[in-house]
Amino acid sequence: MRTLSVEPLTRVEGHGRVELGVQGGRLRRVRVELFEAPRLFEGLVLGRSFVEVPALVCRICAICSGVHRIAAASALEQALGVTIPPLAARVRELLLLGGHIESHALHLFLLILPDLRGSDSILPLLKVGDACALAGLELKRLGNRIQELAGGRAIHPVTVEVGGVAARPGSAALEQLLAELEPWPQHLAAALEPFGGNPNYPPATPVLGLPLSVESATGFGLQGETLRLGDGRRWPGADYAALLQERSLAHSHAKVATGGPFLTGALARQHNQARGEGRTPPPNRAGIHANNGAQADELRWALSRSRSLIEELLAAPEQEPLLSEPVVGAGVGSCTIEAPRGLLVHHYLLDDRGRVAAADIVTPTAINQAAMEAQLLADLQECDEADLAEGAQRIVRAYDPCISCAVHLLRVV
Amino acid sequence: MNPMTRLRIAYQRFTSCSGCQLTLLNCERQLPQLAAVLELVNFSMASSARDETGPLDLVLIEGSITTAEQLQELLALRRRAGRLLAVGACALSGGVNALAGGGAERERLSAAIYDQPTLQSFPPQPIARFVPLDLELPGCPPEPEDYLRLFGALLQGGLPWSPSFPVCMECRLRENLCLLLEARQPCLGPVTQAGCAARCPSAGVLCEGCRGWVDEANRGEQFRLLLELGLSEGEIRARMGRFAGEER
Repeated sequence: MRTLSVEPLTRVEGHGRVELGVQGGRLRRVRVELFEAPRLFEGLVLGRSFVEVPALVCRICAICSGVHRIAAASALEQALGVTIPPLAARVRELLLLGGHIESHALHLFLLILPDLRGSDSILPLLKVGDACALAGLELKRLGNRIQELAGGRAIHPVTVEVGGVAARPGSAALEQLLAELEPWPQHLAAALEPFGGNPNYPPATPVLGLPLSVESATGFGLQGETLRLGDGRRWPGADYAALLQERSLAHSHAKVATGGPFLTGALARQHNQARGEGRTPPPNRAGIHANNGAQADELRWALSRSRSLIEELLAAPEQEPLLSEPVVGAGVGSCTIEAPRGLLVHHYLLDDRGRVAAADIVTPTAINQAAMEAQLLADLQECDEADLAEGAQRIVRAYDPCISCAVHLLRVV
Repeated sequence: MNPMTRLRIAYQRFTSCSGCQLTLLNCERQLPQLAAVLELVNFSMASSARDETGPLDLVLIEGSITTAEQLQELLALRRRAGRLLAVGACALSGGVNALAGGGAERERLSAAIYDQPTLQSFPPQPIARFVPLDLELPGCPPEPEDYLRLFGALLQGGLPWSPSFPVCMECRLRENLCLLLEARQPCLGPVTQAGCAARCPSAGVLCEGCRGWVDEANRGEQFRLLLELGLSEGEIRARMGRFAGEER
């Protein structure tokens, strides 16, 4: 068997490669290798006060820094038995939505659109004034503006602390943001048109992996204590470990979920949301590339939800509390939350002085890795050898992987 | 150096979170203009264009060096680079990853997390430990404006200005409440290099020192001020050491 190495993976976040084993002109074996250098985040958090943890672990990943920071704070709040003030929960949700918008726009317009247009990157598209690329950048900017207002900064936001948030966005800035959001419902359809059931996507086989997502208590939301599976089962979020059964692989610095394979991310959320409401999930003729269409749908939802949240924040009285003071002590807590690319879990054990005694973080890309390998093998069966490398790149991109996240799993017991 | 019409740049990331690269892509309103003057090669997050051998006007490096392979890549890029620029806390000091420590502790953690001894790596090393730097952009992450000033200056044949005063100067210009003296929070503005327009204090949150020490930072006095606020020595060391790299 000959091995074809697709390296580096481009227009994805992080360092990875795909190894394709070809025999007799047919693809026999696929391995996705995530080879980011280990960063040992547990070394940073072990023995440190819970107060320090959110600012440190958000540095696991830039694109997902807001959701990492919120996941850490929420898990630690559960460990300490703190309930955050309602206004803080709204500011955090706005930050999550900003991250969702920015990340999806980055993926669709900077990483996927060049494939649909036959380009290396977005830059040649910008040079010829591609209207879709320009609208995508504005959408991405809007996501960042929301993150800046809710989090103080677009990457590695600073406002989220254990107990709530340290500051709320100012009214004048929120009013301005609301005005910026105003015209989007009219432009959105045109901007997102290329990502629907598009003939530009390569031929695909049905999507593999059991859809896995967070079920929110409030209908469609990004955070919740129950996990929902594509077969209708529900699973307590705190018991994530029994479901996912993670282990490390010799060929990858990420730890893969071996309980599945599971599929997590926008397409899984869309599937489970429809099933939960007793609807049939939308027909899918694009295979895993339909994940892009699901992200486009989520952009519509996230923009409209952001508008309502901003209105709620504007209506909140000036003196409404933002932080509940945590009482230092021992405890254990976990948080299951939807990062833009799927289920993220943070889990912490604190000692009686509030220092981290154990930590575990499970990231969406690690959860998707097994399904990604199976999908590559299935989708590329009929592919000519000359087109294998390009085909593999496009399938991996469809998952919107975040490789620097995937390899920074912490588990110290 | 003469003004240039176009910069051929490579942007390589080593051990880090991609935040410095993403900050460049976050210059959304300027990207169309930048597209006309930048040629990106080896910027794998944004582009599939590759060039493994040709000369480069500018090489940007995000992240610290933690493996022998990364060091080989860095040396190869240095040879091709007209100018080499280290971007962000990880490239400049090792960043938060340096807090994991080294030696036996690192091996124990590596074994505990990954259940296997195969991950050959060493504690995060700043770029300047291996190759001469022509320029530095501080921050975790840097500000989008840092990039715009950089490209603007280089295209005009100059070098970007970098401030040699603390965050407090910019904070005062913005007429913020002083978080350290008035709100009595452990803000690191007085010892931290400016250039972020006091971003965090302006949002009502203390400075965590992500742009590194300002020239002649009075760290002793900062330590004393934080003790006065009631923080323990351990807490102060943790706060002041977050972006200081392995030296502390």
